Formats: sequence, structure tokens, C-alpha cells
Amino acid sequence: MKKITFKFVALLIAGTVITLSCGKGFLEQTPKGALDENTLANKKGVEALLIGAYSVLDGFIDGGGIFLGGWTSAGSNWVYGGVSGGDAHKGTDGGDQPDINPIERFEHTPTNGYFNDKWSVVYEGVARSNSVLKVMAKATDISAADVTRITAEARFLRGHYHFEAKKMFNKVPYVDETVIDFKVPNDADIWPKIEADLKFAYDNLPETMNAKGRVNKWAAGALLAKAYLYQKKFTEAKTIFDLIYTTGKNAQGQKFALLPKYHQPFDAATENSTESVFAVQYSVNDGAPDAANGGWGEVLNFPYNSGPGGCCGFYQPSQDLVNAFQVNAVTGLPDPDNYNATEVKNDQGIASTDLFTPSTATLDPRLDWTVGRRGIPYLDHGVHPGADWIRLQSYGGPYSPVKNVFTKVEKDALNDKSFWTSGVTATNYTLIRFADVILMLAECEVEVGSLDKARQYVNEIRARASNPAGFVASASGPFAPYAANYKIGLYPVASPAFLTQAAARKSVHFERRIELGMEGHRFFDLVRWGEAKATLDAYFLYVSGTSNPAINNKRLYLATPTVAKFTVGKNEYFPIPQRQIDLATGTLKQNPGY
Amino acid sequence: MKRKSRLLATPARYFSLSAILLLFVFCASAQKQVSGTVKENNNPVVGATVEVKGTNLATITGPQGTFAINLPSGRTQLVISYVGFETQTINVGDKTTVDVVMVPVNTTLNEVVVTGYTAQAKKDITGSVSVVNTKNLKSVPAASAESQLQGRAAGVTVITSNRPGDGASVRIRGFASFGGNEPLIIIDGVPGSLNGLNPNDIETMQVLKDAAAASIYGARASSGVIVVTTKKGRGNAKVSYNMYYGRSVPGDGFTNLLNPQEMMDLAYLAKKNDNAVLKHDQYAPNGGTFRLPDYILAGTASGLMEGDPLVNPAKYNLDIDNVSGSYLIVRANKAGTNWYDQITENAPMMNQNISVSGSADRSRYLFTFDYLEQKGIVIYNFFRRYTARLNTEFNIKKNIRIGENVQLSYAKSNGAGLNDEGTEIANTYRQQPIIPVFNIKGDYAGSRGANLGNGSNPYATRVRSKDNRNHGYTIFGNAYLEVDFLKHFTVRTSFGGTFNNNNYYNYTFQTYENSENNSGSQYFEGANYFRSWTWTNQLTYKNIFRDKHEVTALVGTEAVSDWGRFLEGTRLGLFVDAVDFRSLTSGTRANGSPYTPASLFSQFGKVDYVYNSKYLASVTVRRDGSSRFGPENRYGIFPSGSIGWRMSREDFMSSISWITDLKLRGSYGQMGNQRIDPANAFSQFRGGIGSSNYDINGSQSSTVTGFQLSFVGNPEGKWETNTTTNIGFDATLFRGKTELVFDWYSKKTTDLLFQLQQVATAGAGPGVNPAFSNVASMENHGIDVLITQRGTLKGIKFDLTGTFTTYKNEITKLSEGVDFFDTDAGEGGRIGGVFVRNAVGHPISSYFGYKVIGLFQSAADVSSSPTQTAAAPGRFKYLDANGDNKITDADRVFFGSPNPDFTYGFNMNLEYKNFDLTAFFYGAAGKDAINYVKWWTDFVPSFQGGKSRAALYDSWTSTKTSGTIPIQEENGNFSTNGTPNSYYLENASYFRMKNLSIGYSLPSSLIKRAHIDMFRIYVQATNLFTVTKYTGLDPEIIGGDRAFGIDAGVYPTVRQFFVGVNVNF
Repeated sequence: MKKITFKFVALLIAGTVITLSCGKGFLEQTPKGALDENTLANKKGVEALLIGAYSVLDGFIDGGGIFLGGWTSAGSNWVYGGVSGGDAHKGTDGGDQPDINPIERFEHTPTNGYFNDKWSVVYEGVARSNSVLKVMAKATDISAADVTRITAEARFLRGHYHFEAKKMFNKVPYVDETVIDFKVPNDADIWPKIEADLKFAYDNLPETMNAKGRVNKWAAGALLAKAYLYQKKFTEAKTIFDLIYTTGKNAQGQKFALLPKYHQPFDAATENSTESVFAVQYSVNDGAPDAANGGWGEVLNFPYNSGPGGCCGFYQPSQDLVNAFQVNAVTGLPDPDNYNATEVKNDQGIASTDLFTPSTATLDPRLDWTVGRRGIPYLDHGVHPGADWIRLQSYGGPYSPVKNVFTKVEKDALNDKSFWTSGVTATNYTLIRFADVILMLAECEVEVGSLDKARQYVNEIRARASNPAGFVASASGPFAPYAANYKIGLYPVASPAFLTQAAARKSVHFERRIELGMEGHRFFDLVRWGEAKATLDAYFLYVSGTSNPAINNKRLYLATPTVAKFTVGKNEYFPIPQRQIDLATGTLKQNPGY
Repeated sequence: MKRKSRLLATPARYFSLSAILLLFVFCASAQKQVSGTVKENNNPVVGATVEVKGTNLATITGPQGTFAINLPSGRTQLVISYVGFETQTINVGDKTTVDVVMVPVNTTLNEVVVTGYTAQAKKDITGSVSVVNTKNLKSVPAASAESQLQGRAAGVTVITSNRPGDGASVRIRGFASFGGNEPLIIIDGVPGSLNGLNPNDIETMQVLKDAAAASIYGARASSGVIVVTTKKGRGNAKVSYNMYYGRSVPGDGFTNLLNPQEMMDLAYLAKKNDNAVLKHDQYAPNGGTFRLPDYILAGTASGLMEGDPLVNPAKYNLDIDNVSGSYLIVRANKAGTNWYDQITENAPMMNQNISVSGSADRSRYLFTFDYLEQKGIVIYNFFRRYTARLNTEFNIKKNIRIGENVQLSYAKSNGAGLNDEGTEIANTYRQQPIIPVFNIKGDYAGSRGANLGNGSNPYATRVRSKDNRNHGYTIFGNAYLEVDFLKHFTVRTSFGGTFNNNNYYNYTFQTYENSENNSGSQYFEGANYFRSWTWTNQLTYKNIFRDKHEVTALVGTEAVSDWGRFLEGTRLGLFVDAVDFRSLTSGTRANGSPYTPASLFSQFGKVDYVYNSKYLASVTVRRDGSSRFGPENRYGIFPSGSIGWRMSREDFMSSISWITDLKLRGSYGQMGNQRIDPANAFSQFRGGIGSSNYDINGSQSSTVTGFQLSFVGNPEGKWETNTTTNIGFDATLFRGKTELVFDWYSKKTTDLLFQLQQVATAGAGPGVNPAFSNVASMENHGIDVLITQRGTLKGIKFDLTGTFTTYKNEITKLSEGVDFFDTDAGEGGRIGGVFVRNAVGHPISSYFGYKVIGLFQSAADVSSSPTQTAAAPGRFKYLDANGDNKITDADRVFFGSPNPDFTYGFNMNLEYKNFDLTAFFYGAAGKDAINYVKWWTDFVPSFQGGKSRAALYDSWTSTKTSGTIPIQEENGNFSTNGTPNSYYLENASYFRMKNLSIGYSLPSSLIKRAHIDMFRIYVQATNLFTVTKYTGLDPEIIGGDRAFGIDAGVYPTVRQFFVGVNVNF
């Protein structure tokens, strides 16, 4: 009896001892489904980290326990560049995405969640770019040429993300791969560091890359020159733009050129073309959750109801933008000073079932590739029916965005099928297109070169737009085979619009607005030109119906209780997100005025 | 023996210590044999424990109540105990036969309570332990004992969910941390979940609240421990059968919504207020007089009247492949659709439970089978569970016992939304009443059409999701071996754990009827597999020296290991929607991963000392090592000590006859918390299609794999420490008629593991998903009170129990320089901010925002008030908290908290002859809630869904300045619906009759002939009434700890009516 007892006791004690002795290994557990830095410290790993750095360009991260950004931080900047710039209204319904309402009225505060998202996304891009450099320093199997190329790509991306931060928030921290304490102060001007990154990329990248989506020498050059332009270093900018204009090629080695038709750069079928200097590559139906690699930032910016995409009626072009496309019936030239003198006819307040005849005024043909309006074919989706495709016309107005919308032909192939809306597309957002480069070059010519060269560059842009094969077509109507009374003229030699520097400047700036309308550049252009106050205050007075109560399409909320206005010395930049100031415990200083 | 009394006696007084102490004598020297019988009312008591005091020598009484036991030399006392009866100590003296007459318990002083790794008589406990009356617990029908625990234990705050199969939020003494505040559940010695446990199998349940009671569980104990034992076989073989059947009544839903005519009046009012053109796509498409349309949609047109060629049914065309080109025709439901009625129904609930149990010479057994079916009040929502339990124990030698407890369960369910804006219930207020359920051809109707909002047809949602399923399989249990040796020692080893396997699938239909449609069908299926085992070895020593010094000592080791994997896949655009076709055969997306395993290895020890049944002391220490922390900080030590003084045993109190027993207690100690990601210490790089892959090749439909730093680990992480002080007393008065338990406690968490958000410049990994760091601290203090009064009045036996629970929570530190963080409960993207701020100096989940001090009454009022964005007559006027004469972010204040001042439960059991009545009330006082539903229903611009009567009838207008809610306008702004403010705050205190049941037991003379021991039938109602000022569906609003009490239309608590039967053979 006792023997048995002690056997059991001995067994239990032995068990305990075994448990004790294996305790140490027992408590060593490593993460599953993840890698550590050392495993990635080789060519394959570093290239994958580089891809990861590119993947933030779209402004949205979904997965791995992390969700960040979206329409709040879209690579296209439709909120900050577009809505803030007067190209468009938030649109939709007053209650949807209410954080944009104060941004549209320049009443935003540092606690607005949109700014924190945008800030977080661009610095995630910076962190990923730095990750490439940090891990590569430990790798031993990468050739010197590859090290240079990877470094240049990573530094280009780092430069791009910092550039985004800079133009949004001005006083921002610069973070490189050596930073350990991430509470970096925002007390220095980071332009020199952005320039250094972009210049390294420009100096070291090859012309031709192994993938369409990679940055090459010329894309880096274009962004570097754009950075110079933002600092009014026109001479330096012009040097590079000139070179790009004459010899630049895209990553596939094709020489840059405007495509024959204006709308082609916005069509998935003709993207990554000779006009695409650098683009955010979107893909759909690729197995990603929530269509995360498509044009997620622009997912809200589709017509509502039975319109293509079906949701959510945001980013509705303003009457001011539409009016800007009016041209002189004889010369086909715009009138930058008085374009709001007449309102382009619209269907505000008219039901889709009621009759409406669109404007017969002479219009720049680019209008209908930029703005969806009643009575005009909306890509290949049929004629825009007006109110039926608008979420709440009394709030957002009668127009729809066009440039980000997929065509009917592309439906199901080039828009994602896995989502609560079909409005996630494979249509790239082109960060820099060749037309943009030409217009930036024209700006440089106005400032430091030849006014006539500026005129010629503007005409080059207008000439492409005037190709009738690129007009919106319509088999019926008074202007068949075109949808409206299109006309676009070139500036003749000795045109008064280019006789003085001031006139030329105005003409180039106006052309930029028309050519790049709804592409997310407008607000940043107005700020760097110093024209934000005058332009936007006039814009608010006009679109709210205050300066001209007779207009049909007005946004009353921009006049209630007072007319929105731009505050000089404050609204040039958005506030540093309060959350980041709080977390930085004293190292981040708020922008003036907030 | 009297079976009826045994069953009706409180099963809570069953104790399972006898399982451990069923001992046979093996030491033969210098001893004498004592034999005898144990009886009660001349009936033999079978299965009573007879123990030699101060040793582990014991036996149980046989079929005739007889026993025989060897008494070692020097031992003269026997302790006889049995569930439901007073434990008696018999001085044997020189006698060799002893006859014992058991008396039913009046007090619970001698009740043996299973606590951590051991069991103690209640009178000897010095820690803070709530002993739950499990009979009362089970009297409320529920799938989970978590919900049943509400109001039953002092110190425990429970927020239930009424959704079938759901558990509840159980918090012991407030919050120890920002997450992982669920108590540790120990079932038969193994960590488990109350949610998977069949409540009918529970024999005892104890809540260990302070460190003295719980710190033996060390690193897992800081949120308290609930110790559960399951039933054992005992006595003669018996069969019992219990069943109930009843129905849940859904109630009326949102009763404050406008009908279609009133909706039109409100749209008109908003336009008038705005001086806007009086034109509306539905009510007046061409301007002029507003009228209700006959058709709300025909093709792309809205607001049409009968006779319009557009509504010709011949034009109708639904093409699912071309939804935008389809021509749908929807007739207006002018009478109004009651969406809540459409998606709810009277829902049956049924439970069938059968158990077979008993004990023989050397074995004990219990087998139960249970079937529970609960339908939700929301159609197609259900929970169905089958459980089987087998508990056995064998005495393989006199001093060696081997046993096992195992439960198998299978559950099947169809879920429904609980509390957010996208649920079916939320869509009963978001969907306008003018929309019918079906269109003219019997297809679904919805918000497609002008000015119909962006809700979705909740009936369609339910029907489409009716085939979604969750299946769960669980095996839970343990096997153990106990050996008694050297008179005073018992060694025990137990190996147990759980295997879980869940399979779940759902199908998302392509939709056509809504303004915002799903663009394609999607099938999702997943499965996870999880196992956890716990191996415990312990050695117990028990002795009594000189009759006065009672010592119980315990040492042990424990190893815990968790491991699991999951696999999920999605397939898009299925060829047809047919149920049987749904599979992942050609899936386009799959993901899966092993969970990072976790392990724990521990040593623990405990010494209890009692001097002369008067002075009590206890010391506990546990050392835990956890894989969740880096090697430097892997081990933590959690000590505690407590003392007790049974004052009533002192001479000076012997004259106070009404005090039967009075014990003062005090304790101090530490517990830990390790509930963090098992991989917290490691920096990790991950790749993800959505997060780091990129279409670098411009293919438009494929990506190249990318990687990113997804998590920056914190190798310095260590245990969170929870230091508890507890002072209390237990009083038994009037010979047990009154019992009072009082505790005051203070609980401080330091080195609180907080996901310290990093600046975004560190990247999204640490910025969005930061590692846990030991930076924060938090405090709770409060009192717990339990009062019981029993007695008999004019033949009515009564038993009244009240519990009272308070906690006051305060965040005392977050991290250097950071003193708050905001939490989004789902409203963030809607209302221009969030309601909850967790801040130093305030309780967890406090409500923060602008305080509404009224409405601007006039332009003069606006101009004389502090500058406020979008200020205008009829809009909210906010408090200028800092007095700088302008309303800015700095004027936001804390204006409420969902933490109650106190919660209370009151239970009443009455017995008269063969009738019995149970009533149970529960209440929570001094708590707030955010009625976020008001954002949707009280403001015209908060999307065009259903609106409230208040919006139409109580809103401010220039001619009705007495209006109490803001002017109705078409556009929202900062001064109306554009920012979180105190308008949504409501008092959510409530008092609820949780349960009322009336039973009748057939007279034994009647049923004995049928060999039935007991036959009881009863009728029951739950949630008969609720007294509250809260205007939402239910003041009981479940949510996460960092943001709770935010009501987007919660799945409500509703009335239920039951009939039931209890039969014993």
C-alpha cells in the first residue's frame, strides 16, 4: 500500500520537476505570421520593403491590424487641393463626412480628424521609406548598383511624402533613417532636405525602370523641379523642366508627350502612357480586403442613386469652376477676369423627369471631361440625368465629378466588385502628368524666361484640347456630333494675354486651373501664387449667391450665418493635428492662427 | 432521507470539498474504530462526509446513513458535514459508536467555499469572497451564467446583452485596466469561459474580489476571479428533468418616429426655416403644394402620382447585372411602414435538461444533457446549444482518487447586429416609413429614389442573412489524481483545458433596392481552432496543533499553454445566390494565420492559520512567468496577506445574544494583469495585400508583395500591478436569520499596460497599433454590501437578499505629457468628433464635448453671446467654459459618465405550503448614456432617414421660440448636429423587475405512487417592467470598456414569459 502511494508521489514530484526544468524554453514564444528585421535584410526583403513604401502613395492602409486613412488622406488630395481650392464642394448631404464642412469654409480646427489622418499617412510613407534604408544597411547580397537604385527610389518616396506634409502643413518635422526619437520638432524649414532627397533620386535613378509604376530619373526630376517652383526658385526649376520637356521619358523609356485626346490620361485603358510622369498605381479585384489597392481615396466621389458607382455623391464641381470654361465665341479664349459674369446654365432645382436643355454658350471642350452635368453624355454611361444622380441637389448642387470615374466598358473589370460600392477603380491617379510639367515650365518662362515661350507652351496644351476627336460626342442635339457648343482657341502671337508678365502670369495660372481642374492641385497653387485670399474670398461671395443673388446654382451654407472667407497668415496651411501636438509633448508647435 | 428538502435546499450549499476529502484511513497503528449513523428527521443521510478533525482522514456515509472510521490516537473529534445541513463537530471521547442528528443549516458560517486551489469554511475566510446563491442565479432563464450573475453578487457589475447566445460584460469592482477587464473564470480548477458553460451544471460559484482571495491566481487575477465548480454525483441514483418554454415579446421599438405625412410636414418646415425654394423631389417635384406621392420611385423618377405614364408596370425591369439600368417601381406606403414590427417577432425560448447522478461505494458519477434554443426577437436570429457533461470520480485505493469533469458542447447560431448604426435595428429608424417592404412586383423596396436617405431595408437584410451560420464545438474539462499520505498531506495533479473549433460563414447579396447598394455578391467562410491546457500540481498540508492552532498550507506549480490557428476565405461574384452553391471553390482571397502562442508557468503557496477559531491569518504568494513579456521582466511575484478577528468569540461579546457571529476582516495584496498581445515584445514586419502590396507593374488587377514594419515591440513590458486593500465584516445575527457582509475596498493599478500611442512620425505601426507599455495608472474604490434575511411569517417561509455595489473609477495617469485619449464608438465619422474621452482625473469612458446651455433665441442673443461658429437663432448655444468670450475646442467639458453611482439587486423567495414565489429586481443608479439615435432622428440634415416627433413638434422656429430642440434646417453645422455635445446625454438610471416566478410542487402523497420524488410546475415572467427616464430602447447599453453607454439602437432587453417543470425521480 505504502509502496503504491510513494510511487504516485514520486511520479508527481518528478512531473513537477520536469515542468520546472523545462520552464525556460516553455516560456519562449515567438510571433507567428510575421518576420523580423534580420529575415528581411537581403535583396528580396529590401525590395519588398520598397514596394511597401510605394503602397502608401494611395493614402490608404488596410490590413495587418492597421487601418489608416482613406478619403481623408487620398493621394489625390481632393479635399485639400480640390474642395479647399474652390474646384468643388464637399457635395452629397450636409450630414455626411461633416469634418469636411469646416474645411470647405476655412473654419477647421486642429482637432479635425481629417488632418490627423493625412499627417499619419504621409509619415507612414516616410517611415516605410526609411525602413528600406535601415534594413538595407544590414544586407550583404545587394549589388552596388542596386543599392544606389533602391536608395534613390526610397529617397524619392521619402521626398514625396515630406513634400505632401510640407504643402499641407508647412512647418513639419523631417524624419530620416537615422532618427531614433520620433518626437522631431517642426521648427526648421525642411525644403533643403526634401530637395536633397529628390536631387539624389534625380541624379542617381536610371531612365528606364523594370516596372511602369516605379519612379525614374525624370519623375524624380519633375518633383524636384516642382519643389523648386514651390520655393519660387524658377531658374533651377526651369533648367530641369526644360530638360524633361526635351528629353524626358517615362519609366518604360517612352519619350514624354501629350496624348492626342484630353481625356485619355483619366482613362484606365490609356494610363501609364507617355503623358504619365508619375502616377499612383491602382489595382482592383486583386484579392485585397475592402478593395484596398484601388482608388479608395476617391471612392465617395461618384454620382449617387442609379449613377455609375452608385455612391456617395461627394466632390461636386462648383459653378465657379464650370463658369471658368466659358470662352469667347470668336476667339475661343477664356476671360480670367470676368468668367463669372454669366452663369453657365444648369439644372439646379429641376427634377430629372422635367425637361432641361443644356447651355448653348461657347465652352471649352475640357469642361465635359472635368464636370458631369445634366444633358451631356457622362463618359459612356449615357446622358447625365441631373438630379437623379445627385445625392441632395439643394445642398451639393447639380454637378458630378468625372475624372476619377470608370467607363461603362471598364465596369467589373476595372472597378472592384467586392465592396459596398462599385466606385473603387483601377484608374490611376496621376500625381504628375506631362501637361502639368508643361504648364509648370510655362510658369517658369513667365517668371524668368520668355513670355512668348510661355504662350507657346500654353498653346501646346490648348492645341491638344482642341482636337475635335477628343470632344465629348453626341449623335443628337444642336451641336451634333458634339455634345455642346465647344470651342477652344490658341493665343495668337502678340496676344495681349501674354504681352506683360502680369498678363502672362494670369493666363498661365488660368490655363492651369482649366487643364488640371478637379485634379487636387488648385488650393496649393493658389497658396504658392499668393492668390488664395483674393481668389477664394471672391469665390465664396459668388458661389454662395452673395455677390450675385441672381445665380441659379448657389450654396447657401457658404453664406450662413456669414460668408465663408480665407484668413491671410493662417489659412495658407492647415493646422498641425492637435493629437500629434499632444503626443509630441512639446516638440511640435502649432501653425500661426490656430 | 427527505429528498424534497434536499432539492429545494439551496444547492449553493453543496460543496465539492468532499470530493477532495473523500479519504480512507491507511495508517493502522494506535487507532480505534468509531462507527455510527447520520440521520435527519429519522431519515438516513446518505453521502455525508465524516472527517477526523485536523487530518485528511474521512469517509462518507453509506446507504443506511452508516459509517465507520478509524480514529488515530490523540484524535477525539469528528466533523460531519453535508450539503444543506449544519456542519457538526462531535467529541467522540471514549465512545465507539456515535449517532448524529443533522439539522438543516440556518447560517452559512460553516458552508465550505471553494476558493483558489483550496476550500475553506466561510467563517474562516479573511479575503473578500462573494458566494453566489446558484439557485437564485439559475432562476432567470439565460444561455449564459454571465447574464444571470447580474445583481447576484455584491461587487460585481454586469451589463447584459439580450441577443441570443450572448454573454455579458462582467466587471468586478470597476476597471483595473483599459482592456481585458473580464474576470478570470476557473471552472473545476481550469481557466474557462462562463459563456460556453451550461448554467444548469453549476454547483457553486464564488467571486474572489480582493488580493487576499484572488492573488493566488497571480498575474491573471487583477480583474477578479470567478471560481465555479460543477455538480457531482452524490447519494442514491437519481434522475432529474427540468424544462421551460417561453416567448420573448419584442415590444414596440422606436415609438417616437414620424409617419409619412408628418415626415412631409417636417421637410416642409425645414424648407420654410431655410427660406428655401418650396420644392421637393418626393413631395413637390415641380414646386407648389406639398403632397404625399403615390409612387416614390419609377425608373429614375421620384415623387409620382397615379396615372403617370412612368409608373406603368409594363416598364418594370429588374436586371441584377445592370442594377443602375433597372427600372424599379415602388408605391409609397402612405400609412407608413413600421420597420421594427417588420423585423421582429415573438420569439420562443426553450430549455430541456436531464441529469442522472449518484454515488456508489467507490465511485461517483453525474451525467447531464442539456438543450437550449433561443430565438431572437429579430427574425432569423437564433442560438441553439447542446451540451453534455460527464463528471466521475473513483477511489482506486483508500487514499487515491482519480476523477474527471468534461463538457462537450455544440452551438449553432445566426447572428444579428448588436449596437451600431448599421444594424437591422438601427435601420428601423434610419429607413423612412414611406418606403414599403416590397415594390410593386414583390421585389424589395428601399431607399433608392430621391430624398429617401441612405438606410437599407432591414427586412431584406434579415431574409438575406438567414442562412448565415456560426458553428462552435467545445470540449472543456480536466482529469485529476489525488493521493493522501502521511496523515496530513494530500497531493493533487490536474490536467485540463479546452479545445475550441469554430466555423462561420456568411453571404452578402448584391442589392438593388437601396440608394447605396452592395455592388456584388460575396461569400465568406472561416474557421478557427484553439486549444489551451493547464497542468496544476499541488501539495496540501493540514494539521491542528493542541486543538487550537489550525494550519492549512499549500504549495503548487502550474503551467498554461495556449495555441491556435485560423483560416478564412472570401469569394466574390458567385454565379448564383443559391444557398447550396455557396463555397470557396474558386475563392479570390484567403487569409489565415497561427495566433502567437502564449504560455505561463507559475509557482504558488498559501498558508491559512486559525487560532482558537478566533484569530485568523492568511498569506499567499504566487510567482508567475509569462511568455508575453521579454526575458528581463518575465517573472512577477504577487503577495497578499489578510487577517480576521471573530469578535463574537470573545468573552465580552458573549452576552450579546443577537449577534451569532461577527468577524472583522482586513487584507492587502497585489495581483497582476498580463492580457496583452502575446507578441507584444517583438518588432514585426508583415506583408498584406491591402496594406503593403502595390501594383508596381501597372497591371490594374494584381499586386507585387510588399512588406512593412507593422508593430514596434516593447521588450521592456512587464506585469501590470494591482494593489488592493480591503476592509470588511461578516455578521450573522439572530441565529442566522440575518446575514450581513460589508466590504470597503481600494484598488490601484500601477504600471498599467497601456497602448501608448506614438507620434505618427514613428510610422503607422506604432502610431495606430502601438505596443503595450507600463505607463498608466488607475484607481477604483467603493463598497459592496450583501444583506440576507430569512424567516417564517404566518407559515410563509421567506428568504430576502439584497446586494449593493459601488465603484468609483478614476484614471490617475496615462503617460508622461499625455493626459487623455479619445475613443470612437462608431459615431466618429458622423458627428464631427467622438463622445468619449478617457482622461486623467476622470472615470473611464467619460463623455466629453460642448455643453449645451440652451438655444439662441434671436440675432441679438447671438451677438451678445460668445463668438460661436455657425451661431444663429434656434441653434445650440454652448457653454463658454474658459470665459474667453469665444467658443473653441478649449470649451469642451466632461459632462457625463456611463459608470453608475451604484447598482443593486433584490431577490425575494417565498414558500407557502406547496407554493413558491421568486421575485428579483435589479437597478443601476446615477449612470448616463449617449442616445446617439437622436443624432439620426432629431436633425433633418443627419441623413434623410426616419425622424422623431420631437423634430417636428418640439423644434424651435422663429414663431415658436419655446421649442426645446434646435431649429430644423436642411444643412447641419457646428451649432446643430455637427459636433458631440451634451444634447445627446440622458440619464440612463433604471430599476427593473428582472424576474417573477410562481411555482407549485405537487404533494408528495400524490406523486410517491408514481415513484416521483418531486414534481414542480411554474410560470415565470422576466423584465416585466422597467422604471427609467431613458428614452431609447433600453437603458442597458453594452459596449467596450473604453467607450460604453453609446446607444445607436441597442438590441433591447424585452419581456419574456415562460412555463416550466422540474421533476426528480
